[in-house]
This record gives sequence, structure tokens and C-alpha cells, in this order.
Amino acid sequence: MSQLIIGQLLNGVIVGSLYGIIALGVTLTFGLTGIVNFALGAFMMLGAYATWYLYDVLGWPYVPAVFGAVIAVGIIGYLCDRALFQFTRGNLVNGLLVSIGMISVFEALVLAAFTTTPRDLTYVLPGALHVGGLILPKIKVAVCGVFLAVIFGTYFALTRTWLGRAAFSYAQNPEAAALMGIRTGRLQTIVVVYSTALAGLGGGLYASMYSIDPTIGSGYVLKAVEAAILAGIGSVIGALGGGIILGVSENIGSVFLPSAFRDAYGLVFLIAILLVRPSGLFGDRS
Amino acid sequence: MKYAAPTALLIALFAPLAVHSDSILAIAIYGFMAASLAVSFNLIFGFTGQLSLFHAASFGVSAYIVTILVTAFGWNFWLAVVPALAVVLILSLIVGTICFRFKLKEFYFAVVTMAFSEILRLVILNWNGITNGSLGITVVDRPSLWTPSGAVQISSGIAWYYLTLALLVIVYVVCQRILSSWIGRCLAAIRLNDQLGETLGIDVFKYKLLSFAVGSVLAGLVGAFYGFYSGFVEPHYLSISLGLDIIAMVLLGGVGSLIGPVIGAVILTALPHVIDLSAELRIGLYGSILIFVILVMPKGIVGLLGSRKNAA
Repeated sequence: MSQLIIGQLLNGVIVGSLYGIIALGVTLTFGLTGIVNFALGAFMMLGAYATWYLYDVLGWPYVPAVFGAVIAVGIIGYLCDRALFQFTRGNLVNGLLVSIGMISVFEALVLAAFTTTPRDLTYVLPGALHVGGLILPKIKVAVCGVFLAVIFGTYFALTRTWLGRAAFSYAQNPEAAALMGIRTGRLQTIVVVYSTALAGLGGGLYASMYSIDPTIGSGYVLKAVEAAILAGIGSVIGALGGGIILGVSENIGSVFLPSAFRDAYGLVFLIAILLVRPSGLFGDRS
Repeated sequence: MKYAAPTALLIALFAPLAVHSDSILAIAIYGFMAASLAVSFNLIFGFTGQLSLFHAASFGVSAYIVTILVTAFGWNFWLAVVPALAVVLILSLIVGTICFRFKLKEFYFAVVTMAFSEILRLVILNWNGITNGSLGITVVDRPSLWTPSGAVQISSGIAWYYLTLALLVIVYVVCQRILSSWIGRCLAAIRLNDQLGETLGIDVFKYKLLSFAVGSVLAGLVGAFYGFYSGFVEPHYLSISLGLDIIAMVLLGGVGSLIGPVIGAVILTALPHVIDLSAELRIGLYGSILIFVILVMPKGIVGLLGSRKNAA
């Protein structure tokens, strides 16, 4: 029993870090452009398909395939920002609806190109680690490690570099930031593109663990938004924390309670947090 | 624009005399039901400013309750509508009270209503004994009407056409009466600035809840009929994507106008039949329309038509 629980706990952390990396994109985009980008789920799906295409169809090695996918998704993200998102800055409802419209468009395009048949990547990293009676697939451990490294890397980049401090100052006071010589429009574009690239990375690594189909994104973006709100929008490390809390509560919840309702446990938790502490677990009270 | 609604109703009343095609009739029936959903949603979204994602849940829960009471318990259709609407009313009061008591702002309101809606969908999806899970329930019964010559089953296309048209008229008139009264003015004040409204002595909580409950119950009313016309109910009725379709209809027609959602709903229902598209491309088309409307014509079709004067 205790092994089962520890196993589910670790699974929760692994899934949670995937929620976390998309939640990081949600949080950054919201902080800098004032919209919640639901299309990040679609970008994750695009990243997964791009990785699958480069790796399985064109026969690239896995790591370059993921890099290629991240760059491709980043470029699509840039085009979307120029064509669509730059017109919805600061308008939450419009941004929400435009991003939701984009989910339908991307899903339709991928469906038309690759049909609904689920795709599986040939094993990237077979084998498993045996730790004290627990069996952990190597690939899951590696993926989780990459996610943690990227999230902490982002945190340090935000706190230690000029661009990061510019982003923080913009989130605090856009006008003052502009007066200090920060090119705010470019900053927003960078953040939107970075968020989409993160989602692409999430998708690329997701593809190495699970089979992919055109609808994977919508479920994950909901989880990511839940995680971001749970943590308190605007908190970088909180996005990871929120993701892991969500992943663990789903996995542990389904040990003790009917697993058919695993998606509901996170939702109940989210409603409770929003009502008791609207700024989230790690957010400032304001 | 002032006479747009009565003219449209007049045309709709006599249209079946000229059009005999069954498929056009079916599109009209689905269009009327979608329009009723869109009009009732616009009461909450366009006129009160609350982006509710609970609308599909109200619709689906009511459809399920009526269907189960009729097929499994042998109730009369019209009798079954009463508990269904009561349940929707209670649910919307619970969800509304929680959201509005805690003064959730636009995005958080959308997320919390979506969360409740998803929870209800999961309950219906997994309550196999009663709801038959993901397979849904097939409905063969038809509601009947009492006429002087005895009970008549509503089964022909023409009968459904007038029934759903009546449904749309009821939903439209209820919303129109609410909005043209002082309640409508309170709702407008809440939409524009709820803090200012509160200072002026408007009970913001009460009117938000009123708008949310009335809109949800009207959606429940549509749901009660929908399953009996389409012939089945399934968990997809409560999905977020249905909620988004409704939003697309309202935006296309025109937010904050009564007739706008009707136009948007009829166009979006008819569109896939006019241009023959595969299901996946249709979803993409919906998405593109949504993006296009928001970025290029934020006031929708009504905004384009009525740009000279204020839209009705």
C-alpha cells in the first residue's frame, strides 16, 4: 500500500511538472499581456506532432527533433502574436476567446493533416530505474528533470538578467517601465513567444511518454490554468508548485476515491482555493 | 431595426407554407433551439457582463432529467419539465451564490463556472446506472399536446417547427421584458461598473444572481426539448465546447443586442449545411469566425447593420 502511494506520488510529480511548464507560460503571458492564452494547449499539441514528425517520419535523433519542434512552435507563436494577440493586449475576454478560437483552428488543421489516429513515438529511452522496490521508467525521470531545470532556469533568468527585471518592472507598472526605456511591445512579444516555445517543449517531451492525438492540448491547458490560478497568477516557482500539487492530488485522490473522478478532484480543490484565498497559494494578498 | 424582431417572427410563422423541404425545416428547428440558448446566454454575458461557462451544464442537466424521468420512470413529458427546471434553478442559485458572494471577477467567474460545469459532466459521464455513461440515452418518445380531439403526439417536422419557434419567442420575450424594465437598467449598471452601481444603492449580488438564474433556467427549458427532437442525450451536451459554440453565436450576431444572438445562432447552425464541410474543418471554421468577429467586427452583425442608429 505504501509503495502504491509513493508510486502515485512520484507519478503526480512527473505529471505535475508537465502541468507546471505550461502553467509557467500561462502565468508569464497573463502577467505581461493581461490575457490568458488557452491556445498554449494547442501549441503543446503542435510541439508533440512536430517532434513526432521529425523523429519518427524524418528519422532525426530525438534531441534535435525536440529542438526543431520548439523552434517551429516558437515561430508559429511569433506569427500568431503579430497577427492576432497583439490586438488583444489587456482585453481579457477578447484574448480568451481569440485563443479558444485558435485551439479549434489548430486542432482542425492537425486533424486534416494527420487524422485522429493516435501516434506513438518509437521508444526514446527504454528501460527503468529500480529504486527500493519502485519501478520508474527512465524516460519519465529524464523528462521531469528537464522540466524542473527549465522552470528553475526561467526563474533565475527572470531575477538575474536585464530582460527579466524589465519584465518584472513591466508587470508592476507598464507606464513607468516604458518611461525607463523598456521597449514594452517587444517585451510582450518575447514573452508570448517564449510561452508558446515552452508549451512546444512540453509537447515534445510529452510525446516521448504517451501517445499523441490532436486533442491532447485542451485537457492539459485546463490543468495548466488550474495550476496557475492555484498557485497565484504571476508566481514563477508557484506555477511549478501549483502543477505538482494538482498532479499529486489527482493521483493520490484516485487511490482512495473513484478514479473516474480524478479530473474533478483538482477542480474542487481549485474552487475551494479561489474562494478562500483568491490570490492563490503563493500569490501576494492584494 | 425597431421592427426587426416582429418582422422576422412574421416571416418565420408563414415560412413553412412556402418551404416544404424536410432538411431545411430541421435546420430551422435546430436553429431556433440554438437561438433560444444564445438569447438566454446573452442575458448573462451581454447584458450583465458575466462570462458564464455554466450554460451548457444547465442545458444538459435539464435534458438528462427530463429524458430519464420520461424513459425510465414513464412520466409525462410536460410534468417532467417541472422538476428539471427546479433542479437547474437550484444548481444555478448554488453556483451563482458562491461566485457572486465571493465577488469573483470576470476571468475567475468564468473559471469557477467552468469547473462546476465540468464536475457535473463528470458525474453524468460516470453515473452509468442512470445516465448510461458515455453512450447516452436514446429517446423514442415524443411529447404530446392536448387538443379538443385528444392527445396528439408532436412528431411531424411542422409541429416541432412551431413548438421550437414558440420556445424561442418565450425565451426572447422573457429576456426582453426583463431588460426593458428597471431590472434591465440595474443589470446595465452592473455591467458597466458594479462598484458604482453598489454606491447608487443597487443590490449587485441580487441582480447578478437573478440574471444568472433566469438565463440558466431558460437554457434548461431548451434542454428539456432538445433531447426529444434529436432523439438522444449524451454527456457531450454539457461540454465546454457547446458553451463556446453559444459564445460564438452571440459574438457573431452581436453582444448586447436581443436579436443579434438569434441571427448568429441561425447562421452558425445553417452554415455547415450550406457549405458542405467535414466535421473537423467545420470546427476550424467556427474558430476562424470567432477570431475574425472579435478582431474585426466586435459588435457583430447587428453592429454592422445598425451602425447608423442604435441597434434594437
